[in-house]
Amino acid sequence: MLIWFLPAFLVLLMIGMPVFFALLVAPGMLLWMDGQGNQLITLYRNVYNGMDSFPLMALPFFMLAGEIMNRGGITLRLVEFSQAIMGHLRGGLAHVNILSSILFAGLSGSAVADTSALGSTLIPAMEKNGYSRKFAAAVTAASSVIGPIIPPSGIMIIYAYVMGESVAALFLAGIVPGIMVGVGLMVMVRLLADRYDLPKAERIVRKGQSITPVENLIARALARVNMIAVLFVLIGFIAGSLGANVPWWLRLIVAAGLSEGIFIALRRRMSEDVRVVYKRAVVPLQTPIIILGGILAGVFTPTEASVIAVAYAVLISFFILRSMKVGDLPAILLKSALGSSTVLLLVGAAVAFKTVVSLSHAPETLAAFILSLSENPLTLLFLINMLLFIVGMFLDAGPAIIILGPILGPIFTDIGVHPVHFAIIMSVNLTVGLATPPMGLVLFVASSVSGERVETISKAILPFLAVEVAVIFLITYVPAISLTVPRLTGFIQ
Amino acid sequence: MTPGSAGRASGEGVLAYLWAAYTRLAAGLSVLLLIGRGLAWIALGLMVLTILHQVVMRYGFNAAPNWTEELARFLMLWMTGLAAPSALRWGGFVAIDMVPRALPRVPGLLLNLFILTLALLVLVLGVQLGWREITGFGGRFASPSLWVPFDVTFATFEIAWEWTKVAKKYMFASLWVGCCLMTVVTLELMLRTVLTILDPNRDLPDDPHMMAAGAD
Repeated sequence: MLIWFLPAFLVLLMIGMPVFFALLVAPGMLLWMDGQGNQLITLYRNVYNGMDSFPLMALPFFMLAGEIMNRGGITLRLVEFSQAIMGHLRGGLAHVNILSSILFAGLSGSAVADTSALGSTLIPAMEKNGYSRKFAAAVTAASSVIGPIIPPSGIMIIYAYVMGESVAALFLAGIVPGIMVGVGLMVMVRLLADRYDLPKAERIVRKGQSITPVENLIARALARVNMIAVLFVLIGFIAGSLGANVPWWLRLIVAAGLSEGIFIALRRRMSEDVRVVYKRAVVPLQTPIIILGGILAGVFTPTEASVIAVAYAVLISFFILRSMKVGDLPAILLKSALGSSTVLLLVGAAVAFKTVVSLSHAPETLAAFILSLSENPLTLLFLINMLLFIVGMFLDAGPAIIILGPILGPIFTDIGVHPVHFAIIMSVNLTVGLATPPMGLVLFVASSVSGERVETISKAILPFLAVEVAVIFLITYVPAISLTVPRLTGFIQ
Repeated sequence: MTPGSAGRASGEGVLAYLWAAYTRLAAGLSVLLLIGRGLAWIALGLMVLTILHQVVMRYGFNAAPNWTEELARFLMLWMTGLAAPSALRWGGFVAIDMVPRALPRVPGLLLNLFILTLALLVLVLGVQLGWREITGFGGRFASPSLWVPFDVTFATFEIAWEWTKVAKKYMFASLWVGCCLMTVVTLELMLRTVLTILDPNRDLPDDPHMMAAGAD
């Protein structure tokens, strides 16, 4: 009887039942047919208890922060900043697109937000610069999957909650894989640039921009604080590895001196326009520093970090960029409330589903089946990646993680895969699934932003998907890629 | 009058009746959900302020308030209960819709109707179970730190005006209200599907406030 539970669930999903209902109908049917109809109340309670959680609150807050920054015009500043860095290379705007995605990923945890925000700015610009529309849309879609891999990340918050892992550890584990996806895509652009003769672009699009004296002051101060902090840590690291004991005040003085030297050297080499573009990016780019810095230092919980990100976004949009009015807030709040309410219900349903899954002995049956295929963890990881990739073609990352995490996670932890490593494999694989045809969410968004057909973008994106698949396998077989940062910072053992 | 035309006339009568029912239901629901969404975004705004207050008090004044986390969770539950029905109505619930789309028109719509019927079953059960939770024993547990100046006995709808600790039932009510609203939304969607099958030439009005409601 119990064995029918998972197939029934799959059939319901395939015929188009919303995941939320399928997650409840399948276990409900199971309980009812098993003569345990009076246990349905447990199912209901689990949905409620699943949603009633403080750590989950980071989800609506990060969604809101991303939404505010997007409306507040921060996107444009990031794009101009990326262009000043990489625009002059061959295939310049494609590189700019990818670099902007990496930066945007540090502000938002959603691939869809990334595609719509960067696509609406960059796809028309790339077309004007001589790229085909399908190529521009494909680069945008392919690079936007970096959004949920680099922290903050909506799906990692969900995974951490459903599976009882630490959000901070998952966030930190995602940094290197996310940057690897970005660098991999840039290498592919470089290869394609030779083949298709992709154009270079100007480093500065809008010449003669200005910056208000107040922001200029803030930006200069913040840039120095950032640089000094990096140098301070670096000097400590070098001194430590040389066995020298340098007092903190000396480190600070050396860091400050070095930092000022670097800024003076940079200043001489840059035109006024480039300087302004860099300065205008300093304030928005503090967001990932605040979020990660706060979590890393153990000062904030991820939920607190997320609310600080919201406050910071409001502060910038109202007082620095002055691009938002109080009247814009209701629509932004509503959009985030709608988006997060569906996800929260899904999480609640997943918690209910998970309890019945464990009652049904389905994981044991499935584990026995999976382990009968091979006893070699490496082979199993290969197979599981294939499975995740296929699932990702049809299902969005969030729901897929909610469904598969509780079923697959324990099996792989038992055969010796680190839970955080497995979480990253799942997250990256299913996030890439957002850009795979036939049912890739970001493909649809890229299509609606660019006006290009989904089928056309699906073909143009193939070389980039190949890169992403390669990165997935690197992450799978080199655990250090994901585990080094959380280990060094002491978030996992 | 021939028997055939009588049948057609009564068929048209049923159709007219269904249209009237649908139009009224849709209009009423639009108003109800508009109010729900209004409260939902306010709840999200208050959540931000509440947790911000917690952060400022904790790190600024080293005096972490004990009520902020609980209030924020309360608000989040209500935000979900009040916003999710709109998302359901606007197609914001994730589904793999390849099969219904690949089917010819009428079988596709019939499959949709079947799915909606199952969803309705889940929601009606949710409404029943939710009510049992609100009026039951678990609903009486009081929150440790939140107070309100009234107490509602839901089973009898009696209100007593006195300061009481916020009981669990007020939090439980969020999911129950969400289930109730989603039940009505599902009924509307079912009626819509039936009308699309029976009267394919007439256009169905869309909710004028509709906006994208999904998330990855």
